[in-house]
Amino acid sequence: MEAAAIDAVVDGLKQAGVDFISLMPDSDFSLLQERVANDPHFTYVPVSNEAIGVGVCAGAWLSGKRPALLVPTSGLLVAAWPLTSLCMAWGLPMLLLIPYRGDIGDAFWLMGPYKDTTEPLLKVLNAPYSVISRNEEISQAIVDAQGSTISWQRPVAVLLTGETIK
Amino acid sequence: MKRFDCLKALAELLDPKAIVITNVGPICREWNALRPSDANLLQVNLGLCAAVGLGVAVSLPHRQVVMLDGDGNLLLNLASLADLANQNLQNVLHIVLDNESYEGGGGLKSATAGKADLATIARGAGIEKASIATNVDEFRSAARAGLTNAGHYFIVAKVEKGSVSKLPTLTIDGKEGKYRFARYIETTENVQILRPRYTHI
Repeated sequence: MEAAAIDAVVDGLKQAGVDFISLMPDSDFSLLQERVANDPHFTYVPVSNEAIGVGVCAGAWLSGKRPALLVPTSGLLVAAWPLTSLCMAWGLPMLLLIPYRGDIGDAFWLMGPYKDTTEPLLKVLNAPYSVISRNEEISQAIVDAQGSTISWQRPVAVLLTGETIK
Repeated sequence: MKRFDCLKALAELLDPKAIVITNVGPICREWNALRPSDANLLQVNLGLCAAVGLGVAVSLPHRQVVMLDGDGNLLLNLASLADLANQNLQNVLHIVLDNESYEGGGGLKSATAGKADLATIARGAGIEKASIATNVDEFRSAARAGLTNAGHYFIVAKVEKGSVSKLPTLTIDGKEGKYRFARYIETTENVQILRPRYTHI
């Protein structure tokens, strides 16, 4: 991610009132992860798999925090289990930020399958999403997603593609 | 040792304001019978009790947080122990009621019926105050230490399979449990969690 995109994500998270971040370390978000880990505005809880991250964010929200979960593209499949057993079953909000690897234009063959899984999986998980490809759209997309996930009490995702993850 | 006797000993020691997170299955029904409270977050699905407890304990470091976990439940997501340990929490009592089986799922053996030792695994994950209790007196003593001292305590209570008869039916689902718990936290922490319209925008 370029500096402008990282700035926009952090700005959007703060505008949205996010004060708690959980994440599974991931190459696409590595610079963003370093940034939020070192920003005292955020309570920061790194986790060893994305399912733990969903549980952590669920617990944080129920305790009065405003969490966001940074999910690697492939990790959405791991997160699908508690997104079902916690978020769908209990009606819990979850702001998800996902680098959309495997989108059209991603030249790495190994990411190809995630074009087939990412959007369909979010649909079956009853998790509406925005696909954001321009840095200037990032902050507002995060603010909007946060408003919707809290009001609707179901997960809402922002998929970052194009220049936002270059 | 019977699980219900351990939970009864814990209920007698526990501050009414202590937050208790339980897995789904017999543990939550027994705990609900012993301490019905909106400070309980019951029926957290398989593998996620420790993860949800981590989120609660980090968010409310001034509150006592107790997790009532099962052996099969924790085994499904063992990495939770490492993530919990790395937060250096001072407000956690994590109890695993280890009956060496998937009692809620039909009673087949879990890995702790074989070679797995969850207390050793917890210590390896970085949780230094990990112990095993094999009778109620040992359990009570370990639980008291965890509740009266700051730190991250982990107790494996080796219990028999089987529950007690005539437990009250648990009549709330996760959605109602969510509302009750969130409203309780709103009241006791003076925060707003539930917002039909998120007006921050």
